[in-house]
Amino acid sequence: MGGKSKSVIRLGMIMLLSFSFILAGCGGSDKTATSGDAKAGNEASGGSGEGKPEPFEITAFIGEAGQQPTPDNKIYKKIKDELGVTFKFEFLAGDLNQKLGVMIAGSDYPDIMTGNTKLTAAGAYIPLEDLIEEHAPNLKKHYEKYWNMMKDPNDGHIYILPNYGAYNGEVSSTWYSGPAFWIQKAVLEEAGYPKVKTLDEYFDLIAKYKEKHPNIDGKPTIGFEILNYDWKNWGLFNAPQHLIGHPNDGSVVVNDGKAEIFADKDYAKRYYQKLNEINAKGLIDKETFTQNFDQYLAKISSGTVLGMFDQHWNFQNAENALITQKKHERTYVGLPLVYDEGTRDYYLDRPALNLNNGFGISVNAKDPVKIIKLWDRLIQEDWQKILSWGIEGEDYIVNEKGRFMKTQEQRDKFTDATWKLANKADTLYSFSPKMQGFFSDGNATDGAAQPEEYQAGLEEYDKKFLKAYGFNSYVDFFSPAPENPIYYPAWSVDLVEGSEAKIVNTKQNDLSTKFLPKAILANPSDFDSVWTEYTNEIHKLNIKAYEDRINEVLQWRIENWSVK
Amino acid sequence: MMEETLTKKPVVRKPKKGKRQPMTWSLIKNQRQLIWMSVPLLAYIILFSYVPIWGWTMAFQDYKPALDFADQKWVGFKHFKFLFLDDNFLRVLRNTLAMSVINLVLGFVTAIVLALLLNEIKKVFWKRTVQTISYLPHFLSWVIVTGIVATTLASDGIVNDVLMKLHLIKEPILWLSEGHYFWGVVGASHVWKEVGWNTIIYLAAMSSIDPALYEAAEIDGASRYKKMFHVTLPGIKPTIVILLIMSIGHILEAGFEVQYLLGNGLVVDWAETIDIFVLKYGIAQGNYSLATAGGIFKTVVSVTMLLIANWIAKRLGEERLL
Repeated sequence: MGGKSKSVIRLGMIMLLSFSFILAGCGGSDKTATSGDAKAGNEASGGSGEGKPEPFEITAFIGEAGQQPTPDNKIYKKIKDELGVTFKFEFLAGDLNQKLGVMIAGSDYPDIMTGNTKLTAAGAYIPLEDLIEEHAPNLKKHYEKYWNMMKDPNDGHIYILPNYGAYNGEVSSTWYSGPAFWIQKAVLEEAGYPKVKTLDEYFDLIAKYKEKHPNIDGKPTIGFEILNYDWKNWGLFNAPQHLIGHPNDGSVVVNDGKAEIFADKDYAKRYYQKLNEINAKGLIDKETFTQNFDQYLAKISSGTVLGMFDQHWNFQNAENALITQKKHERTYVGLPLVYDEGTRDYYLDRPALNLNNGFGISVNAKDPVKIIKLWDRLIQEDWQKILSWGIEGEDYIVNEKGRFMKTQEQRDKFTDATWKLANKADTLYSFSPKMQGFFSDGNATDGAAQPEEYQAGLEEYDKKFLKAYGFNSYVDFFSPAPENPIYYPAWSVDLVEGSEAKIVNTKQNDLSTKFLPKAILANPSDFDSVWTEYTNEIHKLNIKAYEDRINEVLQWRIENWSVK
Repeated sequence: MMEETLTKKPVVRKPKKGKRQPMTWSLIKNQRQLIWMSVPLLAYIILFSYVPIWGWTMAFQDYKPALDFADQKWVGFKHFKFLFLDDNFLRVLRNTLAMSVINLVLGFVTAIVLALLLNEIKKVFWKRTVQTISYLPHFLSWVIVTGIVATTLASDGIVNDVLMKLHLIKEPILWLSEGHYFWGVVGASHVWKEVGWNTIIYLAAMSSIDPALYEAAEIDGASRYKKMFHVTLPGIKPTIVILLIMSIGHILEAGFEVQYLLGNGLVVDWAETIDIFVLKYGIAQGNYSLATAGGIFKTVVSVTMLLIANWIAKRLGEERLL
């Protein structure tokens, strides 16, 4: 007995100790946080004279995970030396909504924050339009064409400076990151570089290749992959709108400014029936609906997947792995497929203004004028070149024709994440207002969009491949993008958290996640009955509430976004 | 869990049943060290278990994070109505209960059986090795475990390979795309992950059984099985009952990660639990009120179940929690 009660006491002591540690830990972190804030405040309020740069620290919240730049980062050092500004970034760790909830509850905001509708709704940003008019002529010029679009639909103020989508002149790129039916280059190569236009041709090619090559590198060939995992659901949901020649509007198709869902329409049925048909032929991966995102990437990286419908950025890492393995013939070409020969494809779109995604200045910022002036300075060409291309002579070279180029060594460095942390200001650059298109000397604002630079960086295999088609880049597989409708894109409509529209949307997605795999995997003779059940379930929902919300915002955009 | 029941014993035994010592100043003075030591724990419980109950008010509001309490809109039982009247609610509740019961039964049976078997092993090295290997998976997170499960159950995974080699099946079975298998898969994953860990407490209880009982049984001519059934099992019965009562309190905690990570469109009718439902329509929509309503529902059920189980244990004359 005695021994036991002693051990109880000991146990108690240990628990007591550990609790006191936990409590001490909490207290400590609190203190450092406040002292940090106070310091930032002091520095911010210190003088605002022109000419010689005063040291000025800007605290920033970045709404996504990221890595801190190295303390001696080349570009940030230059900004500090010449403009006197230092940055203190806080990157998201964990769940964004949770973090925002905490920030909002305590009104605990740094000087600048990346855009989020939750923060806007909580009144965390200050209106920027007067500040820009008064202190930032260059910024005003940069956004002139887009001024009305930047205004918040609810109160007409500008809170966020869009980080992408404000173009000067023609938009050109050599890189397509959007949705398409992707196909392995080897499949096209073997078929003699055909031009593929329709869904039927696409699956015929895949079927033929799979029949001839049942194994790739010793593993069974997979004909077609459909990823539907968590929020990455477009692999299953989004294809029908493109097949009838519409751009990516999310889960609606917009005709003459009027949106309606397409999940239950006949042209959607046509796509899923086709998938059902090719599944019966054994072309679809058996595990396609049970795999998670990692397994999907692993399959693509193995080089055994012939095709899938996806957005390029989503499987980018897997494709990079193929390039590292030197399996260039296993990398992908995006094809803008349609149902019928006569339909014009509309996959490639003109980049729309990236709303709610750049920086905004918080209500806690001590000196908003200084911050807006900094962006006004950074938007000018000399700084834009530094932020995008780097330092002349070190990170890029100017050839005799005045064109910006990179040596192979410089090119390799630009894909090295560790090098970038020390030599690029990517965090700042990607969320700040930026020039897109061309500099006044004709060079592209982005290395990937400089045609000769893109050509020089191509692999031998790709050079041969593009030559066979007579194209300059893989973007040429797509029809040129027409002018965007004023309200485009519908997917960026804020459905408003917790509203009926949002709940209906969630439920519709749940139904699709449940029924579409069932329909695709069903015996072809059962397809119709599963489809009928699916559409009946959809019609039980209050789809009108969802469509009404989208149409309301599209209408608002038509009225307010027109450039006067 | 372990500490609680282990440390509880001497406390329970000391005072004679029925007679309570009267609370006097001298008694308080006598035990002042103990009282002082319990203060931080008490403060901890009040701070982290009782104060947050205030947050239940959120369930009756349309809670918005940035507003003051006085500015919130009160909506009565709106969120409870949404929760209970949703078409999916019954299905979700069924899944939660079913998986919970499966986990409970499988968990108890396997852990007790394994503990009994381990207890019979006389070679200490062998016993320790088996024990260590079987409890190591406990320390893996579900994210990793579901990854392992998905790989083993894949069409070219080890399970299908073995079954094919044994000619038990002709075609690989897609374990994760058939709804009927889902509960079983979840139950089996739980067993694999937790069985070793759960045996620890039973082994500890077994080691406190008086060896004289075994000797007496042996003299009476009891076989090895007889000793297991008539000495070991009765010896750990109080532990089993206490653990059972506590588990029944968690009947609506069928887990969240497993179902969330292993589930997919094809098995959603079997995989969606209350937690996933609340996440999808509550937290993910910024509707914290609905999430709170779901939490309240679970707590109320838990407390009720706990009291019922405790009452039954009392009627059966077993050790109790309260």
